[in-house]
Amino acid sequence: MLFTPQQATLRASCETPGILFGLCRDPEDGRLYGAGTDGFAYVIDPTAEKPIAEKKWRLHENFVSSMAFNDGVIISGGFDRRLVWTNVADGNPIRTIEAHDGWVRDLALFPDRERLVSVGDDMQVKIWNRQTGELTSTLEGHAKKTPQGYATALYAVSVSPDGKTIASGDRIGEVCLWEADSGKFVRRLKAPGFYTYDPLKRVRSIGGIRSVAFSPDGLQLAIGGIGQVTNVDGFVGPCRVELWDWRAGKRVFAGEDSHKAVVNHVAFHPARSWLIGAGGGDSGGILAFWDRKATKAVHKAKPKGHLQRFLLDANSEQLLAVGYGGFQIWSFRAKEPPAEKNPAANSS
Amino acid sequence: MKRPALTACGSIEHDAHRRRFLQGTLAGTTAALSFGRMTVAADDVPNAITLQKSQKRVLFIWLAGGASQFEMWDPKPGRETGGPFRTIPTAIPGYHVGELMPKIATQMDKIAVVRSLDTGISAHAIAADLISTGRPKEAALEYPEIGVVLAKELAVRDSLLPDYVSFFLSTEGRRRPATGFLGGRHTPLMLEESMRPANIDLPQGVSRPQHTEREQLRELLSREFAERRAGAGRVGGYNSAFAKVRGLMQSDHLFDIEQEPPAVRERYGRTVFGRQCLVARRLLEAGVPMVKVARGFWDSHHDNFESHRELVPDFDHVFSTLLDDLHERGLLESTLVIVLSEFGRTPKINKDVGRDHYAAAWSCAFAGCGIKGGAVYGKTDDDGKTVVDGKANAGDVAATIYKAAGIDPEKHYYVGPRPVPLAKEDAVPIDAILS
Repeated sequence: MLFTPQQATLRASCETPGILFGLCRDPEDGRLYGAGTDGFAYVIDPTAEKPIAEKKWRLHENFVSSMAFNDGVIISGGFDRRLVWTNVADGNPIRTIEAHDGWVRDLALFPDRERLVSVGDDMQVKIWNRQTGELTSTLEGHAKKTPQGYATALYAVSVSPDGKTIASGDRIGEVCLWEADSGKFVRRLKAPGFYTYDPLKRVRSIGGIRSVAFSPDGLQLAIGGIGQVTNVDGFVGPCRVELWDWRAGKRVFAGEDSHKAVVNHVAFHPARSWLIGAGGGDSGGILAFWDRKATKAVHKAKPKGHLQRFLLDANSEQLLAVGYGGFQIWSFRAKEPPAEKNPAANSS
Repeated sequence: MKRPALTACGSIEHDAHRRRFLQGTLAGTTAALSFGRMTVAADDVPNAITLQKSQKRVLFIWLAGGASQFEMWDPKPGRETGGPFRTIPTAIPGYHVGELMPKIATQMDKIAVVRSLDTGISAHAIAADLISTGRPKEAALEYPEIGVVLAKELAVRDSLLPDYVSFFLSTEGRRRPATGFLGGRHTPLMLEESMRPANIDLPQGVSRPQHTEREQLRELLSREFAERRAGAGRVGGYNSAFAKVRGLMQSDHLFDIEQEPPAVRERYGRTVFGRQCLVARRLLEAGVPMVKVARGFWDSHHDNFESHRELVPDFDHVFSTLLDDLHERGLLESTLVIVLSEFGRTPKINKDVGRDHYAAAWSCAFAGCGIKGGAVYGKTDDDGKTVVDGKANAGDVAATIYKAAGIDPEKHYYVGPRPVPLAKEDAVPIDAILS
C-alpha cells in the first residue's frame, strides 16, 4: 500500500455553495455525499477526472452537521435538531426524528451498523436503533454549562472498532467515555491542552474538543482541537491533536503545529502510524500529519479551503474531504519514479 | 438651568442631611430610612424618592467588537446569509428576533430597535470613535464621547458620586472614553481590573471615625484659609476634589454586589456581564448619571455562531433582567439604556464559519427614558446586505440618544469662540423611536 503524506496532492476539487460539514460514501459505487450550510445533499464521483458536484435533495431545514451511509440510506444530523434517514435512490425521507433539544453536532454508526450514536447541544449522547430509529439509550455526563455559566456544546462522537465503547467530546475540553451496551459512564478525560476559554482578554470561549477518533486497535483515542489561542477573535492558536490511553486516563502524545487553526477532524491512518488532522483557522486551511513521535507535524498540506471532515478511500490512498467551498480529493500515492532510459537505445 | 444640589444617592435632601450630620445638627429629624449606607431623614423621604426617580440616567451597554445583527435584532431565516438560528416572535406582532433572545422577545414592548444603521466605517478603532462620539474624527478638534457629554449634562451638582463609571474588564478592544475638548476633569471612573475601584480603602491603622475627624479638621482649616487668605474660589477646586474622593470612598458599598440579597444576585446570574450590570444598577439607583458596561468580545471572524450561542443568551438574560429590575424599582422611565457596537457583522459567512465587520446595514437597541417601547425602525433587504428604509448614521444615533435623555442635540458648547453642537450639525434624531 502506498501512502506518503509528503506526496500529498490536491487531485481534484469541486465547488458547492457555502460550507459542507457532513460527509459519507456509498461503498458500493464509491460516490461521495456532502451537505452543510444550505441543508442540501451534494454528490460527486471521486473517481472522475474532473468531478462535478450534483445538487440533490434537501436533507434538513438548517445546517447539516454530519452524515453516515448504510445500504442505500443516508442518515444525517442537523442543526434543526433532527436525524433524518434518506433513501438515495429517490431522495425521499424514510424517517425523521426530533433527536436532540439542540443542534445535532455529530453521529456515528456502530461497526455492526445496527446502532447509531448521535450527540447534540442538549449535551446528551443518544444511541438509536439504525433500522427502526428507536431510541435505546440516553447518556448524560457532560456539563450543561461552561464553568463560567455559558452555553456549551457537544461537538464530537466516535465508537470504538469493537463497538463496546463510545467517546464524546465537548466545548469545555472534556471527553466522556461510555460502555455502549450498558450506557455506563466509564471515565472522563480532561484535556486542558486544548483551548476553551479566555478569562482576561475577551471573557469568552473558543475551541474545545472538535473531534475524537479511536485507534484501529481501539486502545487509544485521538482528540482534535486548537492549542493556546492568542487572539480569541478566532482560531489564532496552534492546531493540536492529542493521543490518550483512554483506559488509563493518560495522555500519551500531544502534537501541535505553528499553523494557526482548529482541527475539526482527526483520524488514524488504518495501516500506518500516521495521525491525520484537518481544519482551518487564521493561517488558512490545514491538512497535517503527525507520526505520533514528534510533537511537530511531520508534514502539512495546504487545502484549497478550510476542511471540516474527511475520510480515506477504500485503499487509504486518497483522502476525501469537505469544507469551505465544497469537496476536495487528495492523493497520497507516491509518484511513480520516471522510467529509466535504456542506455542501449541511447547508444544505438 | 439651575440644577438642585444632590449627594451620594442623588438628592438635595441627602446632601442637606450629610451637612447636618457633619455639623452635628441632627436634632429635629424624627426618624430615618436607609438608602444603602446613606441615612435619610424621614420627613425628607417623599421628595428624595421623587427626585431619585426623576433624575435622568443612562446605561450604555457596549458590545465591543461588533455584535451580529443577524443573530439578534435583524434575523434573515432561510436566506443564504441567515445562518443556523431560528427566529421567534416577540411581544410586538410581526417582529421576530433571533431564537437566542427569548427573554428579550417577551419584553420588546419596552425596547426600540433601529435596524437600519449605515455608518460607513468597518475598522474597529475608527468605527468605535465614530459611534462613541457621533462624529468622524477631526484633526482640529477632539470630540468627547457621548457618554462623557451625557455625564456632564446629567450630572448632579455637588454630588459626591462619580458622574460616569465605565466598566471594561476584558483587555482586548478596551477603550477609555475620550473626554475630548471637555478636558480631563470629565474623565470617568474606569474599572478595568476589578468591579471595585482601586485604592479607596482607608489607610492601614486609620479607623473610620479617625478619618471623619481628619476630614472635619481639613474642612475647618480649609474654610479658615479661604476666609482669611485665598478666597473661596481658589479653595473650591481642592475642596471639590477632596469631596469626590470622599464620596467615592463612601460609595464603596455600591460596587459590592454581596450587599444585594442572594435572590437578586442569582437573578442577574454569575457571568461577568451579569455581575457588572448588577453593579451598574446599584450605581444608577444611587444616582450615578452615566454608567457604561462594555461586554467583550463580539468580534466573531471565526466561529460566529458558536460565539453568539455563548454571548447572546448571556446578553438576553442579563439585559432582560436589568430591564425588569429597573422597571420594578420605578427607574426605567428615567433611565435610558443603550445597546451599541462599533458595527455589525457581514451577511456572508466566511471560510471560518465566521462573519466579518460590516457597517452598511446593522442594528442597535434602546429602552427606557425617552424611548417608545415596541418601536422597530428601519429595514434591510431580504439578505440583510443593504438598508432599504430609514437609513441612519452615527450622528443620527447620537442625536437620538441626547434627545431621549432630554438634552437638546443642538445645544452648543464653546471651544474658545467656536460653537460646537452636541450632535453633528446634520444629525437628525430618530423621532420614530422616541416617546
